[in-house]
Amino acid sequence: MALTGALAFDGVAFSYGNVAALSDVSFEVAAGERVALLGRNGAGKSTVVRLVTGLVRPDEGTVWIGDWDTAGRAPEQLAWRVGSLFQHADQQLFARTLREDVSFGPRALGFPAREVQRRTDEALDALGLHASAAQHPYDLSPALRKLAALAGALALEPALLVLDEPTAGLDRAGRARVAEAVREHAGRGAALLVVTHDLAFAAETLQRGIVLDRGRLACDEPLDRLLTSAERLKPLGLVPPPVAALSVALDLPGRPVRERDAAHTLARVAGGRSAS
Amino acid sequence: MSALHPFSLLAIAAALPAFAWILPAPGGALATALVALGLTLTPGAGPGSTAGWSTPGRRPGFVTFRTALVSAAPFWLFLLLLHDVPTMVRMGLRITTMVASFVWLVAALSPDRLVEAMVARRWSLAMAYLFAATLSAVPILRARARRIVEAQRCRGLSPRGSVANRLRALRALALPLVLSALHEVDERTLALETRGLGTGVRRTPLAAPLDRTAERAGRWALLLLCLAALIWRLA
Amino acid sequence: MKILGLDDVTFWYPATANPALENVSLDVAPGDIVALVGRGGAGASTLLLIAAGLAPRVTGGRLAGSVGRGGRAGIVLPTPWTQVSGMAFTVWDEVAFGPANLGWPVHEITRHVDRALERLEIAPLASRDPATLSGGELQRVIIAGILAMDPDLLVLDEPTAELDPEGARAVWRLVRSLAGEGKAVLLATSDVDALPDVADRIVWLEQGSVRAIGAPSLLAEDAMCEAGLGTTVAGLWRAAGLGAPYPLTVVDAVQRWR
Repeated sequence: MALTGALAFDGVAFSYGNVAALSDVSFEVAAGERVALLGRNGAGKSTVVRLVTGLVRPDEGTVWIGDWDTAGRAPEQLAWRVGSLFQHADQQLFARTLREDVSFGPRALGFPAREVQRRTDEALDALGLHASAAQHPYDLSPALRKLAALAGALALEPALLVLDEPTAGLDRAGRARVAEAVREHAGRGAALLVVTHDLAFAAETLQRGIVLDRGRLACDEPLDRLLTSAERLKPLGLVPPPVAALSVALDLPGRPVRERDAAHTLARVAGGRSAS
Repeated sequence: MSALHPFSLLAIAAALPAFAWILPAPGGALATALVALGLTLTPGAGPGSTAGWSTPGRRPGFVTFRTALVSAAPFWLFLLLLHDVPTMVRMGLRITTMVASFVWLVAALSPDRLVEAMVARRWSLAMAYLFAATLSAVPILRARARRIVEAQRCRGLSPRGSVANRLRALRALALPLVLSALHEVDERTLALETRGLGTGVRRTPLAAPLDRTAERAGRWALLLLCLAALIWRLA
Repeated sequence: MKILGLDDVTFWYPATANPALENVSLDVAPGDIVALVGRGGAGASTLLLIAAGLAPRVTGGRLAGSVGRGGRAGIVLPTPWTQVSGMAFTVWDEVAFGPANLGWPVHEITRHVDRALERLEIAPLASRDPATLSGGELQRVIIAGILAMDPDLLVLDEPTAELDPEGARAVWRLVRSLAGEGKAVLLATSDVDALPDVADRIVWLEQGSVRAIGAPSLLAEDAMCEAGLGTTVAGLWRAAGLGAPYPLTVVDAVQRWR
C-alpha cells in the first residue's frame, strides 16, 4: 500500500470481543487535508480514533501513520506523529498550571527547554489561553480545560491531529477558537481527522466527510457535496446543517455550505433579484 | 457465594480477621489466612463485579487472589525489615487475613444488594449509601484511571524506563485521577440529591435479598464462636 | 397556577463577591417550554440549579429575592455521568433508583420506570449494566431516571450534549410531548437552531442578568445575532446585508424568498 498519506487505513477490521466494531475500512488522508469522521453513535468512530492512536491494534488490515505501521509501535511512540484529543479531555489535566499541562507533551518527548517553551507559547496563543496560563486547571471552567487539552495536543506539533468531539460543550466563541486553531495547524501541513456530531462545525472547518455506518465505510466524499444531499444523509442518521439546508431550499448557485460563502451568495442573488 | 445474603458476607469478612487475632499464632493465623485466600479464589461475586474484570480468558477468582497477594506483600516487606522472623510470620499472616478478607468482600459484595438489604432492615439510607459508594467507587475509578493512562500515553508519556521516568509517569497518572475525583465529590453530592437521596423519605426496597434462617443462624453462630474464642484466649 | 416563580432573585455562590445571578424574575407555568440562551458562564446553569431547588440548599451560597414553587422539580445535569447511582447493575434498576428513593410502592415504580424507558426509546437496554453504556446511552438513561420520578417541572442542562443528531431529535420530541401533557420544561442549550421548533419562550442571559425574554422570534433579532446567539439562518441573512426582520428557520427563509 502506498505510504504517501499522513494516515491510511488498509482493509481494517476490529472487534471488541465478538462484537464487530469495524469491517473492511479503507481510506487515506493526505498531509494538509481536513477530514470529518461522521456517523451515528456506535458506528465505529471512536474505534477509529483508538486505532489511529495505537491504543488498539487492528484484527485485520493495517493502520499506517506515514510510513509507520501502528502494529509495531506503542502509543507513546506514535505521539511523535499523532496529536489526539479524546472526549472528556477536561479530566486528563493534572499540572499545577495550565502552561505546565500544555507543555507536558513536548517535555515527555524530550525536547530541550527552549523548544518546549516555544511550542507551549504557540499552542496557548492559537487558542487564546494566555490569560489563563498561570491558573490551576481545576479553577477554570470545563470549556477552558477542554481548550487547554487541545493546546496540549497542538504543542506536540503532530503531522496528524485526531480530535474526538472537540466542540462538545463549547459555546459559539469556543467553537470559533477551535476552528481557527485547527485550520491554522492544517495550513502548516498537518492532516486533520475530526470525529464530530457538529455538522455545522464540520461544514465550516473541514473539507471531506467520511461516514461510518455500523462499522463500515458508507461515504467518503467532499463535504459540500455530502452535506447538501439530504437523501444520502438520512439513512445514515444525519441531517443537513442549517447553512447547507438553506442553500438547498433556496437553490443557491454553487450550494455553499459555509456561512461566509452563503452570505455572499445570498447577497448577490438577492441583489440580482431586486435589480431585475 | 453470590447467593449469600450481604450481611452474611460482611459477617464472614469481619469474623476471619477477628479469629486471626484471637486464635493463637501461627497456627490460627495461618488457618484464617488460608481460608481468606481460598475465598478469593471462589468464582464470581454479585452480578456487577464482572464489570470490573475486563481481561478475557481469566477467571475472576484469579484476579481477586492476585490482588490480595499483591496488597499484602508490602506489609510482609516492612515486617521483615522491622522484626525478627517469628514476629514477621505471626503478624504477616494476620495482616494477610485482613487484607484478603477485605479484597474478597469488595469483589463479592454488590453495592445494590447491600443497600437493598439495609433498606429492608430499616437501616438509615445514608449509612447504606456510605458503604455502597465506597464499594462502587472502585470500578468507576478504575475505568477513569485507564482513560487517563491512555490520554497521557498519547501525549508521549512512557510508563517504562528509568525510575525517574516511572515516578514522573506516576504523577501524571495519579494526579488527574485524584484531582478529578475530588473535584467531582461536590458534583456527586449534588447529583445524588437529584436522584432523591437525602429527602428523609424511607426508600422502597425493590428486591430485598433472601435472608434464609440458616444464614441468620450461621451469622449468630459466628458471633458466638468469636466471643467463645476470645473468652478462651483470655482465660 | 405557576410551577415556578422567581421574583427578583440574586444569588451568590459561597465565598464569592460577585453574584452569579442578578435580579432575575421568571415565571414558568404548566405546559411551558422555556429555554435559557447565553454565552458560557452567563448564569444559565446556576438558574437551573435554583429552579431545581438545589441552590442554595445543596450548593451553599446566598439567595436574595424569592422562589415560589407549585410542584416537584427534577434536573438532568450537563454531566449526566455524575448522576449515576453507582448502586444499580441494570439500566432498569438505575432508572428505578429515583422512584425507590421517593418511597413509592413497587407497582407505581414499575409503571413509571417502564413508561420512562419507553419514552426515551431505551427499553432494549433495560438489562444492560450502566457501566458498559456509551455517553449518549447513559445520558438517555439519566433523563429516564429523572422522568421516572414524575416531576412537574423538568429542568434540563444541555440535554443533547452527548447525543448524535437522531438522539437529539428524539429528546426534543420528548420535550414537546411532555409539555403537551402539562409538564413544564426549563432548559439550557447551546443548540440554538433547534429552539424555534421546541421552545415557547426564550430567556437571554448575559453576565447573570436577564437581557431579554420573548418568543423564539427573539433569536432572529439584531442584538442576538450580533452576540452570536441567534439562529444560523438569521445570522446568515444579517451577514448578507438583507433587511430585518430576519427569518428564524430555513422554512421561514423559503417563505421570505418567494
